[in-house]
Amino acid sequence: MRTFTRISAALVSLVTVTTVLPAAPADNADLQALRAQVQALEQQLKVLARQIEIKEETAAAAAPTTPKITINDKGFTLASADAANSIKIRGLAQLDSRLFFGDGGGVVNNAFVLRRARIITEGTFAKIYSFQFVPEFGGSSVSILDANFSVAVDKALNVKFGKFKSPVGLELLQSDSWTFFNERSIVTNLVPNRDLGVQVSGDVLNGTLNYTAGVFGGVPDAANSNNADFDNEKDLVGRLFYSPFKNDAESFLQGLSFGISASGGREKTASGRTAGYKTDGQQTFFAYSAATIADGQTWRFSPQLDYRNGPLGLIGEYVVSAVNVRPSATGVKTELQNKAWQVAAGYVLTGEDSSFTGVSPASNFNFEAGTWGAFEVTARYSNLKIDDAAFPLYASASTNADEATAFGLGVNWYLSKAVAFKIDFYQTKFGFSPLAPAVSATQILRQDEKALISRFQISF
Amino acid sequence: MKLKSLLLTSLALALATGATAKTIELLNVSYDPTREFYVEYNKVFAAYWKAKTGDEVIVKQSHGGSGKQARAVVDGLQADVVTLALAADVDALYANAKLVPEGWQKRLPNNSAPYTSTIVFLVRKGNPKGIKDWDDLVKPGVSVITPNPKTSGGARWNYLGAWGYALRKYGSEAAAQEFVGKLYKNVPVLDSGARGSTTTFVQREIGDVAISWENEAYLVLKEFGADKFEIVVPSVSVLAEPTVSVVDKVARKKGTEAVAKAYLDYLYSNEGQNVAARNFYRPRNAAVAVKYAANFAKLDLFTVDEVFGGWTKAQKTHFADGGVFDQIYSK
Repeated sequence: MRTFTRISAALVSLVTVTTVLPAAPADNADLQALRAQVQALEQQLKVLARQIEIKEETAAAAAPTTPKITINDKGFTLASADAANSIKIRGLAQLDSRLFFGDGGGVVNNAFVLRRARIITEGTFAKIYSFQFVPEFGGSSVSILDANFSVAVDKALNVKFGKFKSPVGLELLQSDSWTFFNERSIVTNLVPNRDLGVQVSGDVLNGTLNYTAGVFGGVPDAANSNNADFDNEKDLVGRLFYSPFKNDAESFLQGLSFGISASGGREKTASGRTAGYKTDGQQTFFAYSAATIADGQTWRFSPQLDYRNGPLGLIGEYVVSAVNVRPSATGVKTELQNKAWQVAAGYVLTGEDSSFTGVSPASNFNFEAGTWGAFEVTARYSNLKIDDAAFPLYASASTNADEATAFGLGVNWYLSKAVAFKIDFYQTKFGFSPLAPAVSATQILRQDEKALISRFQISF
Repeated sequence: MKLKSLLLTSLALALATGATAKTIELLNVSYDPTREFYVEYNKVFAAYWKAKTGDEVIVKQSHGGSGKQARAVVDGLQADVVTLALAADVDALYANAKLVPEGWQKRLPNNSAPYTSTIVFLVRKGNPKGIKDWDDLVKPGVSVITPNPKTSGGARWNYLGAWGYALRKYGSEAAAQEFVGKLYKNVPVLDSGARGSTTTFVQREIGDVAISWENEAYLVLKEFGADKFEIVVPSVSVLAEPTVSVVDKVARKKGTEAVAKAYLDYLYSNEGQNVAARNFYRPRNAAVAVKYAANFAKLDLFTVDEVFGGWTKAQKTHFADGGVFDQIYSK
């Protein structure tokens, strides 16, 4: 291109010279020579222009068949030229520090924890077929977290098979990377986590109503499927989530969504009831007695709400989770209804939009450039109440709390879309059954839980 | 009973409708300068097929450098037939993807080359550089336009034409290589196909002489005017034999084998040969050749088999990666 410019300039100069030269006969030879030179330069110019043209034609012809490689803060994507087929590699790593205050002597719970470490592989074939495979390397064992296959027949009909999140809890359906707090609220204790099943879902009514319905193996509260479900008892799960003003850009209610979800099924055996409920600081405050078994109907019901308006985000949900239990294989059967609710809010101080899918900083943290990414402050209030009838037959009143009420305050620093540092303070107050002793037999329940949990996160 | 009759009548009508004319779509993947020829031929063939079978045939065309087109078919372009510039490009369909059988060339008369052509020179009106024969193309200061032999079938014919001339005149392979090397030093732009070279010479006004398919040169005179360009016929040139084949694997999958075969067979018919001759391709049919004899210059023509031992050998020696052309052009 530089040669092209030089020749153009030379050509213009020569043309100018030949134009202003007097046409004296004595100079005819010079003039002829100059004309020849101009013609030669003109040819060179045309050749260069044509070479550029050919390069562009070649590039344009190659474009429709050249696969696209994209590497950005959303992962690594290899896609076919028509985007019908793609493979995407993403990742999530969370390193937590947990500090507990005022919980008396003898409790060893301060910790560094590799909370999550995942390599997420996603792919699409022929535009409509997609898969997701997510192994979990965090925690104390390796497991398959998600392994599913989808067929996107239409926006209004997506069929999904495999292992994935059961669509009951609102906050649970949000990615681990983008919740307001490092840990989901205690409400999430009452909903199923990842389960094996098949579901249909889609957006209807001009995209304002999302529906989901599925059949799952059925897992207890807060549990993941262990990749097999060898019983005849299945759960039916459904969810409706309505965003009535979604298409009204002028309305301050555009970001309002609300809905309900429910599940129903039957469970049996000790593995059919929850292994326990945890505080915001991830300490167990309630667990059924070891001999207690599930036997009969389980059901859940959850109204839920999400609201986003610029930097402000709100989330609220209420869950009732019912399980029929026996204190032993032959003991009396009782339906227990545990209930929980939460209200949480976040506000992005730097003005970026709050979103269910995370905050995207307007500028990444760059010390030299003086840009700091995005900052968000968060607050949450939540409560979980165990059915009074659980004590003392199905759970020990002396070792368990029957209620947890928690508030949390947090600051999230998004250094970029992919990198974040988050710090939360939680305080959880415990309530007890009237049958409980004056001093709980469980050390961590003798006082409010005060936890400071900080997290360094990479998510792409 | 009435219901039964109604059902039977409906069924009969449905079958009758199903048995009536259908529309068949073919894709002909061809090389650059055949565009106009196949536009006309497709109409003639469609009319013939309609009269014979009642079916509509829509033939879609794809054109580009012959080598590039062959690669596209190997890579999955769903061609029912290929009508390429040379046998080596059809061979590639067998060698790389087994899309045609090994003996594809024996399936049709004249080694599956229903028409021929040759290589001539196209110069600007008045022939300012006095181009008369191949020797004039290697003179200093003569700018020659020819496409890239790695992607264009026409370019390979051009190259072999020059090589054959030099071999005959100077008597050795080394002399021929030196001659062709000099020629390519005079080439300022390598287009990927013959049509691109025509654009370079005719529309971009680059170069003193374009080495061209005979039919393409005549087409330029017809389209752009004999007052702007002239055709120079060299003393000797190569007999170019563009070849055609059904792409068996694709046609079988699409259920178009019969019509694809008929499409190529009809190229040998009187009608097909006339269309070829009208578009400046030399017909195989003797009677049609006589009819259009005035359109084609008489010159000494050699074949690839005679001088190069066949296309397979010529391809490997001259145009494969690291072959003679790469050695010449990378100098």
